[in-house]
Amino acid sequence: MSLVSNTSLTSGQRRDRLAAFRVPVTVALSFAVIAIVIAWSLAPQFFTTHSPVVGVPADKLLGPSLSHWFGTDHLGRDLYTRVVYGTASSVSSALVAVVIGVLFGGLIGLLAGFLGGWVDVVFARLVDVLLSIPKFLLAVIVVTAIGFETINAAIATGVSAIAFFARVTRSEVIKTRQATFVEASFLSGGSRWYILTRHVLPNASRSVLPLAVLQFGESILIIASLAFLGYGDPPPASDWGLLISIGKDYLKWPWLVYAPAFVTIVTVLSVNRISRWLRKTD
Amino acid sequence: MSNAYLTYAAKRLGQAVVVILLAYVFTFVVVSILPGDPITSVLRNPQNGFSEEEIAEIIAAQGLDKPVLVQLWHALSGFVTGDLGMSMRSNRPVSTLIAEVLPSTLILAGAGLAVALLLAMLVAYGTRFVPKKYGQGLLRGFPSLFLSVPNFVIGLVLIHLFGFQLGLFRVINPDSFWATLFAAVALGIPVSSQIAEVLIANLDKEAEQEYAAVARSRGIGQLKLFVSHLLKPASLPVVTVIALTIGELLGGSLITETVFGRTGVGSLVQRSVSTQDLPVLQAIVSLGAVVFVLVNLIADLLYPLLDPRVKILGGSKRRPTTSDEPSIGSAKAVNP
Repeated sequence: MSLVSNTSLTSGQRRDRLAAFRVPVTVALSFAVIAIVIAWSLAPQFFTTHSPVVGVPADKLLGPSLSHWFGTDHLGRDLYTRVVYGTASSVSSALVAVVIGVLFGGLIGLLAGFLGGWVDVVFARLVDVLLSIPKFLLAVIVVTAIGFETINAAIATGVSAIAFFARVTRSEVIKTRQATFVEASFLSGGSRWYILTRHVLPNASRSVLPLAVLQFGESILIIASLAFLGYGDPPPASDWGLLISIGKDYLKWPWLVYAPAFVTIVTVLSVNRISRWLRKTD
Repeated sequence: MSNAYLTYAAKRLGQAVVVILLAYVFTFVVVSILPGDPITSVLRNPQNGFSEEEIAEIIAAQGLDKPVLVQLWHALSGFVTGDLGMSMRSNRPVSTLIAEVLPSTLILAGAGLAVALLLAMLVAYGTRFVPKKYGQGLLRGFPSLFLSVPNFVIGLVLIHLFGFQLGLFRVINPDSFWATLFAAVALGIPVSSQIAEVLIANLDKEAEQEYAAVARSRGIGQLKLFVSHLLKPASLPVVTVIALTIGELLGGSLITETVFGRTGVGSLVQRSVSTQDLPVLQAIVSLGAVVFVLVNLIADLLYPLLDPRVKILGGSKRRPTTSDEPSIGSAKAVNP
């Protein structure tokens, strides 16, 4: 015991504790990344002292340094600050997209799978039609129809995800409906509504959750793509996709592209890692 | 070519036609709920310099003064006979506009698919030969990484590294060989992720089958087992997955063309979005649906012929539908 130093003891204990929770290191890291991103979007002012809108023209296009972590842009604004302040709209819009996709898709899938018959046929065709239009094109025409704003880009992204969630929920509902315990519940007098809320919904939602998390990552990417094309809020907004789009005109100062791209990729990677972990532990 | 197969083919064909027509109606509805009155705002834009009589003429020619249902009927019957209408901006047939830019996009999408396939095969087949000790896990992580990187970022990184630093291609000349190749790489990398994931999952599954165990017990080598036993059954389902990635290739080419400054269907979409040229948008989106549905139809019809183990589910009780086919692929991709 005397040979073991104090530090190795505590790190050993920590490893035990992590093992008890069965959280792999990469998943813990991913949760840390997501925690930072959420903190950025809730309270950006605590993470930076610069202004995201007003720049210092004398300091334009500086490279990354201690005072400007990601460098500065063509107007002398601190890029790290712009990324931090852009988080809220980039991330919350992805959340809106997922909620739309899961709610509407889930409702369609639930009705189609649970009621069956002509409802199922009608919804199946609707889903086929939504799936037949390339996802990104669908998002583009929807956002064109309702106007170029980040929230509309989020709605468009959500609409393009409805079909996928409708299909997944439908197949889960059908699988559960045929299970023996549902039959037992029905035979012992459970009403349709009771079976739906007590058995079918919880079971379906369990397998939809990891996919919703995965969709969250994808939505961040699609919304970034729409912002990149200029279909989101115009500058001085600083959505990640928009920052990359502005940076592409200044490729001589590559950090203007690499820094926001790095943040986007790390966020999406973390979200995807969490989704995979949720699926495995299920 | 059994009877069951022919009935299956006929049913699938009928469904495809219905889905295409409904997709057209759907885009028509989405496009016609555009806020404000973009039609007159485009026509009355002083920059276009139309006189009032010309405006009335264009409105009459496009049938914009008729009720929406009549417009839909005209558009739909034109679409079925191959008439896509006239562009509202350039006063040229939409089909000509699309035909002009289509070859460039087809080259890009084709090259992108080739890159995606090559990359997916390298990664997936690599997992069979790279031992666990030497980075197999890393190789298995690739699809997830590819899925997390937006293709415009890949494009910009490639332009920065190979265009600016190494000077392999000029952004001013987007149709040169190198520029096209790098655009295809940017387009192909995210698409390869799905294909690789399905390939890896299938290879793992096939390697656990009894016939693989029998082959191993006969003392067959790793390479021989892979080439003569695992390769074919594991790779066939990819046909269906490729068909599903067509949509992603089309959507991705929109961004890739913007990043690399190529003229193509994607740049036409962008132009039509900014000028609110509705007939062009409507045509491109519904043609996208046509391509997607047709490619998937071909894949679904081809698959039972390629893989004799696949049984057509006949009878009235359960028909194979479009809604079943993709879920086979995605279920595998999602739940290996």
